[in-house]
Amino acid sequence: MSREALQESLSAVMDNEADELELRRVLNALDDAETRATWSRYQIARAVMHKELLDPRLDLASAVSAALAGEEVPAKSTRGPWRTLGRLAVAASVTLAVLAGVRLYNQDDIVGAQLAQQSNQPGLVAPTAKGPAVLAGYTESSDQSTGPMANGVLQQGQSGWHDQRLPGYLRQHAQQAALKGTESALPYARAASLENR
Amino acid sequence: MRALPLLTLVLSGWWVLPAQADEAQDWLNRLGQAEQQQSFQGTFVYERNGSFSTHGIWHLVRDGKVRERLIQLDGSAQEVVRVDGHTQCVSGALVAGLGDMPDSHTRSLDPQTLKTWYDIAVVGKSRVAGRPAVVVSLTPRDQHRYGFELHLDRETGLPLKSLLLNDKGQLLERFQFTELNTTQPPEESQVQPSAECKPVVLLTNQAQPKVQALGAAVAQLWHSDWLPPGFELVSSTARVDPATKVEVSSLMYDDGLSRFSVFLEPLNGATVTDARAQLGPTVAVSRHLTTPGGDIMVTVVGEIPIGTAERVALSMRSGNAQAKQ
Repeated sequence: MSREALQESLSAVMDNEADELELRRVLNALDDAETRATWSRYQIARAVMHKELLDPRLDLASAVSAALAGEEVPAKSTRGPWRTLGRLAVAASVTLAVLAGVRLYNQDDIVGAQLAQQSNQPGLVAPTAKGPAVLAGYTESSDQSTGPMANGVLQQGQSGWHDQRLPGYLRQHAQQAALKGTESALPYARAASLENR
Repeated sequence: MRALPLLTLVLSGWWVLPAQADEAQDWLNRLGQAEQQQSFQGTFVYERNGSFSTHGIWHLVRDGKVRERLIQLDGSAQEVVRVDGHTQCVSGALVAGLGDMPDSHTRSLDPQTLKTWYDIAVVGKSRVAGRPAVVVSLTPRDQHRYGFELHLDRETGLPLKSLLLNDKGQLLERFQFTELNTTQPPEESQVQPSAECKPVVLLTNQAQPKVQALGAAVAQLWHSDWLPPGFELVSSTARVDPATKVEVSSLMYDDGLSRFSVFLEPLNGATVTDARAQLGPTVAVSRHLTTPGGDIMVTVVGEIPIGTAERVALSMRSGNAQAKQ
């Protein structure tokens, strides 16, 4: 149950809809490699849906953690300008880590198909992923957890499957809703707007 | 003595609150009746994240028959013609490959049921399309549905504007009339489909029982261990996707205002990861389900929060509901 709640929080954070409690929960759980793997898989799924691209190896959280860990924690007794400077230094290195992540994100302009192809290469396996156990804890089916997919990397044809189905599903839903609905014009408008892409 | 004004305030509040709730319900009742009784024509805009479109609508009520034609005015001319809630024809792009649902019974807006799940109140007045309107808000009582803000025409009760809002009050979609004429009913010719509007194949009397049986079988085959409170199964269908030749079962749930569909498609050995997408108000969540009969991809599509959709997708089970109890 707590895993489920955590996943819900994770998705909320990803959608920028998390409240403070959820954010805290996620931040606490980010030390866990499994959670980070889930996070990166969510990101990939979303990137595919949005036709965006990202590097699955990118693990911003650990980069930020590493940056923080490498930083000297200013002693509590330190007062005055040095303490502020110390804080600034931490902030600066965190910013740097984030910026580096963003740069990496934008730099990688491989197309989705290439991403999927490359996923079969062992070189792309995310360092944080733990293999089969990760997916087993996440989805209902454990038999899917072999191969690179367990690391949150896409497999060939995966995006194609959803690309093929989702528009039809959305359309069918909208049309059926239009048939059932009392507010007749609204579901029609929703259905029509799906065709305007 | 000082308590006296306070007492008056409390008392008046006690009187005002139920009165307001009743008023809001009256407005919703009027809305339900208006679409069955009022002829009108006008134009409206629809806006959601990434899409803005304008549409024309002609709504003719004559001899107890409701005829309606909608057409998109910008971009592709997407058209729908309906008679008494049954789709007669749709233009090319809108063709979904589904015939008129045999078991489609239009659920009328029922404020009594709705108020169990939504807090219904008149929250003010506004002006839309040059007409005075009453603002009725439907605030969800739990996190499993979105809120609505309806601006209803003071004169006829027709919805002039409808906003869908998430739990943070963010706007997910806007439906809004820019022009509405209720005094002059549309001409017969204006509710006639154009040549581009392709007739929807209505099921013959012979095919109907078969499709109904198929739909009923779907409802027998699948159930959800968990549903957001208030949502009920309103239809179930099974259709073969013309492109993939795979039979897709679908179940539609409804709380009287919001709807979501669950699609169940056998994967036949294909390796597909879970996915989620958000398109304006509509969310889509795909999840794997392993059944004795093979792997199934469960996809929940609807105007519900993503967390709720996720939970529904996780709760789908094969076998009928009786079996689990």
